[in-house]
Amino acid sequence: MSAASQYHKALIIAAFSSLSLSAFAAPVAIGYQAPLTGEYAQYGNQFRNAANLALDEYNQTHKAAPVVIKFADSKGDALEGVSIAHKFSDDNSIVGVIGDFSSTVSIAAGKVYAETHLAQLSQTASHPDFVKISPWQFRNIITEAFEGPYNARWISQNKIKKVAVISIQNDWGQTASKNFAKSFKDAGGEITALESFNPGTRDFRAILTKVARTHPDAIYLALMYEDGAALLQQKLQLGFNVPVYGSSSMYEKKLIQLAGPAAEGVKISTTFTASSKEPNVQAFVKAYEARYHVEPSMFAGQAYDATRIMLNAIAKAGGEKASREAVRNALAATKDFPGVTGNTTFDPVTREPAKNLSRLQIHNGDFTSVAN
Amino acid sequence: MLLAVLWLLLGWLDASYLYRLASMALVFGLLAASANLITGVAGMMTLGHAAFYGVGAYTSALLSSQYQFSPWLTLPLAGVTAALLGGLTAWLTRRLVNVHFAVATLGIGQAVYVTLLNWVDFTRGPMGITDIAPLSTASPAINLGLVMLVFLLCYLVLERTVHSYYGNALRALREDEQCVAAMGLDPAKLKIQVMVLGCFIAGLAGALWAYSTRYVSPGDFRFSESITILAMVVIGGLGSLPGAIMGALLLTLLPELLRSLGDYRMLVVGSIMFGFIMFLPKGLIGEYSALRVFRSHLKALEQS
Repeated sequence: MSAASQYHKALIIAAFSSLSLSAFAAPVAIGYQAPLTGEYAQYGNQFRNAANLALDEYNQTHKAAPVVIKFADSKGDALEGVSIAHKFSDDNSIVGVIGDFSSTVSIAAGKVYAETHLAQLSQTASHPDFVKISPWQFRNIITEAFEGPYNARWISQNKIKKVAVISIQNDWGQTASKNFAKSFKDAGGEITALESFNPGTRDFRAILTKVARTHPDAIYLALMYEDGAALLQQKLQLGFNVPVYGSSSMYEKKLIQLAGPAAEGVKISTTFTASSKEPNVQAFVKAYEARYHVEPSMFAGQAYDATRIMLNAIAKAGGEKASREAVRNALAATKDFPGVTGNTTFDPVTREPAKNLSRLQIHNGDFTSVAN
Repeated sequence: MLLAVLWLLLGWLDASYLYRLASMALVFGLLAASANLITGVAGMMTLGHAAFYGVGAYTSALLSSQYQFSPWLTLPLAGVTAALLGGLTAWLTRRLVNVHFAVATLGIGQAVYVTLLNWVDFTRGPMGITDIAPLSTASPAINLGLVMLVFLLCYLVLERTVHSYYGNALRALREDEQCVAAMGLDPAKLKIQVMVLGCFIAGLAGALWAYSTRYVSPGDFRFSESITILAMVVIGGLGSLPGAIMGALLLTLLPELLRSLGDYRMLVVGSIMFGFIMFLPKGLIGEYSALRVFRSHLKALEQS
């Protein structure tokens, strides 16, 4: 095909996909797909804020070969996520993709990236099948296969023998509760109840009463903070007084704001704590607060690190000359990357990340580090 | 004809994003066209169309991934499963009219969604089904061509149904059920037939969606999908088959074309929808003008 016709073709594609023409003269770009509007918009916007922060820091030290991030709104909808994946794949300036938020959308989009050979790094997708799609999928979040056993060991170390588990009925919640229950039983404990609720549930009294009847010594919650806040308040109203442990997804200031005194004493393990004394975490928290006037959550930390890992891989793969394949290989070689969510290493075979967790307890309306 | 030109154009451009948009528009075109048959032509307001779409998608996804059925066998089976559910729904609700039928379909929609979500052993629940084979292993252009072929066949069937004496009986059913009974037709039978045909096509659309996305999860078949389909029918023109296709095209492509607007995108889509309903309450192509075009064709045929 002649150069002119190639050019016309490019023009038409650009017009159709409402891309700017500069995409073809192209500084290297990262595609970022996330729910910027809709039900999960609060997460998507934290991702965007954190990613922009990481990008500006990178571009300041790499003035010769700046990178841009192209954001696309998936609304948390698999339908949109797949369209975005095709769009990003057609955009030659994009050498790597970050996102999506939920495992469902990440997997649906991942099927596309697996075929178009574009590296995808999700900051949050913890579905066990996600990284199994193809060698092009990575994640910067420890899965429930890691967190569940960690929390189970933590609880049994605290001499608790009987635990009831309450989880959200989605892919993540199911894996979380199963993994936790299995390792808690292996550690010699007893699971008195394994309850789940459909997404969107606001009344947890029925579940709580049912759980209370099994007389657990503690409850383990695998759910999002907004559900957690409602559940904790209703638990307090019912006078159901047992210690609560939660998954890292509950680590969020809003949990304390929404639940108030009901959140007191809740224990959570997490990869990121804004109150950490580590200098790089403090620098990130300060910069984030200065720019967005709010303390960064774990989700912001995950996205900040994911963006930095991707930028690092692009730089290693040759900056402005980086190819999609080189970026994938550089990502796969990520080892001991010093992030705000702990040092991250991608397993070269499974592409699963390894990180370290810290333990927190809500005390006097704030998250404080605890030893056990 | 138009489809062939489109196919050649897309083949020349060869961009996976455009293939994706085209197949998404076709799937929703089928959904809107089948919902139009039920809601627009026969006047049975359905709020659970996503249920039949979802049953079709899951039938083909499960048969393909668990039992290694060939895609060409699962397409009709997906349609048949959805049609069975649709027929059963219609038989149970044959005495319900207007808003009562709408609420019944709403219930079916919720029941199917909750079943897909919670019957973990069979549907894999919220984990969804990931290992679905592609429609054909040939190029994406061939895949899109196959989707177009199925679309075309369904369109022809719907076109012959809607613009026939049978279609007139359905429109009479919409206007006055007792009058239809007085003319010696059985309204219950008509309702069941309409639901069986409409749901068969919705099931086919579900199978096409499963094969083009190759991952299905319950979230794709929520109540909001039913509402989107209904909005396509109303914006296109209730009772008008070409209108339903136009409505589907508009509501699938508009959000994509407006992507550059960023966070304001859905606000603009909503405003445009509002504008269409305010200024074109009969739809993009109203039922009357659609019928007039087809009737003039018919007259021309008779004269020649």
